[in-house]
Amino acid sequence: MKPRPAFSLSVDRHTPVLVQGITGRAGQRHACMMRDAGTAIVAGVSARADAGPVDGIPVFADCASAVAATGAVASVLLVGAAQVLPAVTEALAAGIRLLVTPTEGVPVHDAVEIRHRVDAAGATWIGASTPGMAIPGEAKLGFLPDVSLAPGPVAMASKSGTLSYEAGFRLVQAGLGQSAWIGVGGDPVKGTRFADLAPWLAHHGRTEAVLLVGEIGGNEEEEFAAAIAASRLDKPVVALIAGRTAPGGVSMGHAGALTWGSFGTWEAKRTALEEAGVQVCSTIDEAVQSLVRALGR
Amino acid sequence: MFIFEHDAKVLLEAFGTAVPQGCWVGAGGIVDGTLPTGALIVKAQVAGGGRGKAGGIQRAADAPAALEAAGQLMAAPLAGLPVAGCRVEQAIAGAREVYLSLTLDASRAQVQVLACDEGGMDIEAVDPAALVREWAGLDAASIVEAVDRAAQRLSPANRAPVAEAGACLAAAFTALDAQMIEVNPLFVLAQAGGPRWLAADAKLITDDNALYRQPLLSALVERAAARYPEAARKWRHGCDYVVVDPEGEIALLTTGAGLSMMLIDELRAQDLRPYNFLDVRTGGLRGDPQRLVDVLGWMGEGRRVRVLLVNIFAGITHLGEFSRLLVRAMDAVPAFDVPVVARLAGPGFDEAVEVLGARGVKVERDLSLAIDAVRRALAEGASTSTRTAL
Repeated sequence: MKPRPAFSLSVDRHTPVLVQGITGRAGQRHACMMRDAGTAIVAGVSARADAGPVDGIPVFADCASAVAATGAVASVLLVGAAQVLPAVTEALAAGIRLLVTPTEGVPVHDAVEIRHRVDAAGATWIGASTPGMAIPGEAKLGFLPDVSLAPGPVAMASKSGTLSYEAGFRLVQAGLGQSAWIGVGGDPVKGTRFADLAPWLAHHGRTEAVLLVGEIGGNEEEEFAAAIAASRLDKPVVALIAGRTAPGGVSMGHAGALTWGSFGTWEAKRTALEEAGVQVCSTIDEAVQSLVRALGR
Repeated sequence: MFIFEHDAKVLLEAFGTAVPQGCWVGAGGIVDGTLPTGALIVKAQVAGGGRGKAGGIQRAADAPAALEAAGQLMAAPLAGLPVAGCRVEQAIAGAREVYLSLTLDASRAQVQVLACDEGGMDIEAVDPAALVREWAGLDAASIVEAVDRAAQRLSPANRAPVAEAGACLAAAFTALDAQMIEVNPLFVLAQAGGPRWLAADAKLITDDNALYRQPLLSALVERAAARYPEAARKWRHGCDYVVVDPEGEIALLTTGAGLSMMLIDELRAQDLRPYNFLDVRTGGLRGDPQRLVDVLGWMGEGRRVRVLLVNIFAGITHLGEFSRLLVRAMDAVPAFDVPVVARLAGPGFDEAVEVLGARGVKVERDLSLAIDAVRRALAEGASTSTRTAL
């Protein structure tokens, strides 16, 4: 198998971003909220482009014309689950390099196809089922709540939205903030996996420590544990894993949060992460305090 | 979504897979098919592996013995898992046991074909050198090619049966939005004119997200909602709800899968007993309290539930709006009358404090303080008897 393109991310307040599905309920609201957080939202795309701009943001009928007119390089796709595959395909054809897909409920077989198309184009895909990503103080692509965001030294990588909101909120209350926050999302097949982030985190200058917010199901935490040594990630890593006491055989809200026998269990993840030198915490407060200590703040 | 063996066999049969004749026996007797004649096998239907070792597979000489065995299997959990029913099927003698599975590998985004000349045992316990592995793209033709390559690496007598069975499974895999199909064992019977094969067991995991485009699966979830309560709830109501402890005392009205799971873990670590997991998806309420009304009704089914903990960390949802819906839902379900503790964070907090305060609900900003309040509510209620079940 061909190796996947390495994860790369260069997002700041100057990165031109478009919003696909901007005239929908979520699209209108979040386009404005992202802009308020400093993101350069330069365009929207919608079949209802003739209805005019959304709060001053020009709306185009398709990605190609939006990119041609504004030079957008990133897209936040706020479209329904069945529309994510065609919308990603359109964005890639228009030359978009970074795709963030918050939509929940994308069929797994669609996600497989999306990943192959994104990889073939050499682009970066974050999602699906993600609250998005942010570089606090620079830009936010997605839903991450502002009360949980502040510039700081901790890179957060999370499967769950709400658990990471809570962890981010307490991190900020404790006087720490984030160098980057990437919600990889709760689906089993996704654009960016925890392990994809390890080499990038190792070299990301502003990141002094990592908070991994995982959950039961799949083997991403185990992959990340293996990637720590392989990518020489020698910064402190603290992990929270939700679902320690969840019943087996049932999807716990996220399509990916399904344990099967010993596969995907909390215990398997804890063992792998601890062997890689990660501190696995039982509570959110313990994780925040560990980071405070590790960074000597 | 995990599909029970019986339902998996019915589904796979529709794509050409041969299976032993059988039926589902539930608490109410025989449903889905007819009881075969002759020697029978009774198999407990549970959402987990290791069933044979735990005593979940029994032989029966005839139909009355099979029904009796089924009744006994359904009377108690098997290795900690509830027994949803039993599949009673014809016993097949003199077969060779082979292993075959198709799994969607989430990391590679490819289909893994795994085959082995020896089946019937825990595949993780098999010598890795005996396993034959091939990779395929996610289309039936690519999977069929990979199965053929795998079959050629098995013993000659198993090649044709595995290739034939694999072609049927490949069709089902792509058509059903499957994440895993495992046939262990695949029975191979020597007979004149070439071997015959049958899926003696079948494990099928499908994708809840694709249910909207899977008429066979959504029909199953509708028809057998009692077998698939979580999937049926999600299908009908758009939220995830799982009873994690039928004897639990704390009902949880929460949003977000990860935070809801973590809250359950943290409560249990403090020796508290949460009743349910819930990802209510506040963003999907859209001004209608119906989903909250449904949820409060389900929580009322917990006979030991004595307090409701609401925990919403809102990224998107306006808490004032949410609180008004919650009050309307509480009014609509008067029978679920337990103390309510709310912990809220996010936009509209002050308005939420006002709306919920008027209904006698105190709102905390901090989750630890809310958990303390839950503990006090339980202690205060301890003197009164168990709440009457709704």
